Amino acid sequence: MGRASLAAVACLALAGAGYSAERPAAKFACATCHRAEAESQPRTAMGIGMELPPNQTVLRAHPKLTFERNGYTYTIESDGDRSTYTVSDSNGKLSLPIRYAFGVHNQTFVLEHDGGFYESMVSYYASPNGLGVTVGNGKIEPHNLVEAMGRKTSDTEIAACFGCHSTGAVNGGKLTLASLEPGLNCGHCHAGAGAHMKSLAAGTAGPLPKKLGEMNAEQTSRFCGQCHRTWEEIVKLRQFGEANVRFQPYRLANSRCFVGGDPRIRCTACHNPHADPAPEAAAYDHNCLACHSQDAPPVAGLDVPRAKVCPVAQEKCVSCHMPKLKIPGGPTLFSDHQIRIVRPGDPYPN
Amino acid sequence: MPRGIGVCLLVCSSLAAGAAGAQAQDLESRAAAARDADDVPSALKLYRQAVREKPAWLEGWWFLGLLAYQSQQFADARQAFAEFTKLDAKVPAGWAFLGLCEYETGQYDGALEHLERGFASGARLDPEVEQVARFHRALLLTRAGAFDRARDELKTFVERGIHDPVLIAGVGLNALEIPDLPQEVPAGQRDLVEMAGKTAYAWIAGDSQQTEAAFRSLLGQYPSAPGVHYLYATYLLQSRPEAMNAELQRELEVNPGNARARAVMALRLRLAGDPAAAVPLARKAAADSPGLGLAQYAYGVALTETGALSDAIVHLQAAVRIEPGDLGYHAALATAYSEAGRYEDAHRERQASIKLARESRGPG
Repeated sequence: MGRASLAAVACLALAGAGYSAERPAAKFACATCHRAEAESQPRTAMGIGMELPPNQTVLRAHPKLTFERNGYTYTIESDGDRSTYTVSDSNGKLSLPIRYAFGVHNQTFVLEHDGGFYESMVSYYASPNGLGVTVGNGKIEPHNLVEAMGRKTSDTEIAACFGCHSTGAVNGGKLTLASLEPGLNCGHCHAGAGAHMKSLAAGTAGPLPKKLGEMNAEQTSRFCGQCHRTWEEIVKLRQFGEANVRFQPYRLANSRCFVGGDPRIRCTACHNPHADPAPEAAAYDHNCLACHSQDAPPVAGLDVPRAKVCPVAQEKCVSCHMPKLKIPGGPTLFSDHQIRIVRPGDPYPN
Repeated sequence: MPRGIGVCLLVCSSLAAGAAGAQAQDLESRAAAARDADDVPSALKLYRQAVREKPAWLEGWWFLGLLAYQSQQFADARQAFAEFTKLDAKVPAGWAFLGLCEYETGQYDGALEHLERGFASGARLDPEVEQVARFHRALLLTRAGAFDRARDELKTFVERGIHDPVLIAGVGLNALEIPDLPQEVPAGQRDLVEMAGKTAYAWIAGDSQQTEAAFRSLLGQYPSAPGVHYLYATYLLQSRPEAMNAELQRELEVNPGNARARAVMALRLRLAGDPAAAVPLARKAAADSPGLGLAQYAYGVALTETGALSDAIVHLQAAVRIEPGDLGYHAALATAYSEAGRYEDAHRERQASIKLARESRGPG
């Protein structure tokens, strides 16, 4: 293992110990008190966020990937420490190093060319274990190698990309890549964690970070929606149609059972943000039955209709009521968070 | 702006002529012949005589209105289109022309109402009439203080490269958020309005070099004119958002009553994650200008995010009442209802927002 790899492992170990973006030089770390969360979260997809060289494990596991589209050939080659993205046609080729591999299971690459950032035209998809057109780029018909290489991003867009896949990369709306740490660390969500630890180190009670677990469904959706997109944002952007299945807070809010003041339908009722989502359908049954059962207790202060009890089954609810859908043109399946009774032949709701 | 009358004369070829007696038919034929021969004075005289004898003659009122409008006899034209729309309220062009006539006769409130009605059905007007009507509606919306809607409309003329002093002045008034019409700008303000119009024009046209230079001149020449720093602040939002707050502050120093500037400052604070700091600013904006949708919205969302949901809903409902076509206001109200646990209201408002989003133009 080279020196760079050792340094990276050390960084991961620090991240695993729960040091936040506001990392204080103190004996206290998040893990001192919140060990379970601080140990599990860095290993989640959100905790990893992106892969930088030389730790691009996905690319290292796939030393050569190729794809053809619109007369262009895409090749991604990895020699272990470095990966290169090449697009070629009959007239020539353009090769760029892959510094930023966004994502964990599936990866899209942010490439730098002529002082600008580009979202790669092709991405790696775990299923079918190869390259495919990046979601959202399907309609682009490139006219040259640069356009074929990727889609140029605006300053705002690229700041949003880095802001949601890393910590410390955006300050005051501007990119500050020198301070980038891959993934979301504690301080990314828990604003004030650094000050909290400093005060503990100084032996004072100090300010406590906001208790995110006290947020109701609407507040939680708005919070998670900073990256997963809020209902308001999708409506204002008019992103209608099946492609919006990937914006879970939007889909969830359109569910008949979504009540903003009800904690039983908030994102974190089903998803532990310090762990990856459970893949088994049955893992969510107790969340559904918290409302949809004969003996579900009412929530104090909420005046909402009593939820109906499913006449078909009491288990694996999400397998029917949250169908998995593919985005048009993309290979990835997303669970549709617009919880509903799905009838054969029904169109995708909005 | 062209009035597009030549095309308009063809617009109502589908209007059915009613049954009429032989004498009336003769009068109608003579009026039509005079119109075809471009003998406008005779045609006007004959159409006036014909509608006196046959007040329910729809086509007669229509051509009388068009010919009077063409001859700049706007009071007569207004009267003719008023009669026309009384007889048939379902012809969008009738309302559009009534509004255009009222614009010319200085009946501005009626003009806006009737131009809006011309577009309300969604039926297409003749393209040339539509452009004229849209342009005048944009000027009237600015006069009515509906600056955002007016801006969207004015942008389309700038983007098509139309250069016209009235357009420049209209853009200038809109940019400075002066609720006035180009022809009513006091002499002492004309240079400022024109300069602001040219600056905003360059900005909309995407000429960044010229825009920067124009802003430098505008700020240098009119550093304390109300609206100038606010305009620059909105420009900075796209290019240098970090510098925006300082400009908003300068605007409030020279123009403390600018509720928009205060509301935008509140929204910036909310965006920066400090809704509690946004509340007093937004409260003052809403108190100073209760009829300003943006101020009510800013106060409503700041209250939503600080947990004062009942008050938030009151102010967001006000914002929606003031500007029912603003998608953002509806969406914020839906969110506030939802957070307050008002299940049915939230669901209804969400559906209304989605419908509005589908029916209105997207953000670029």
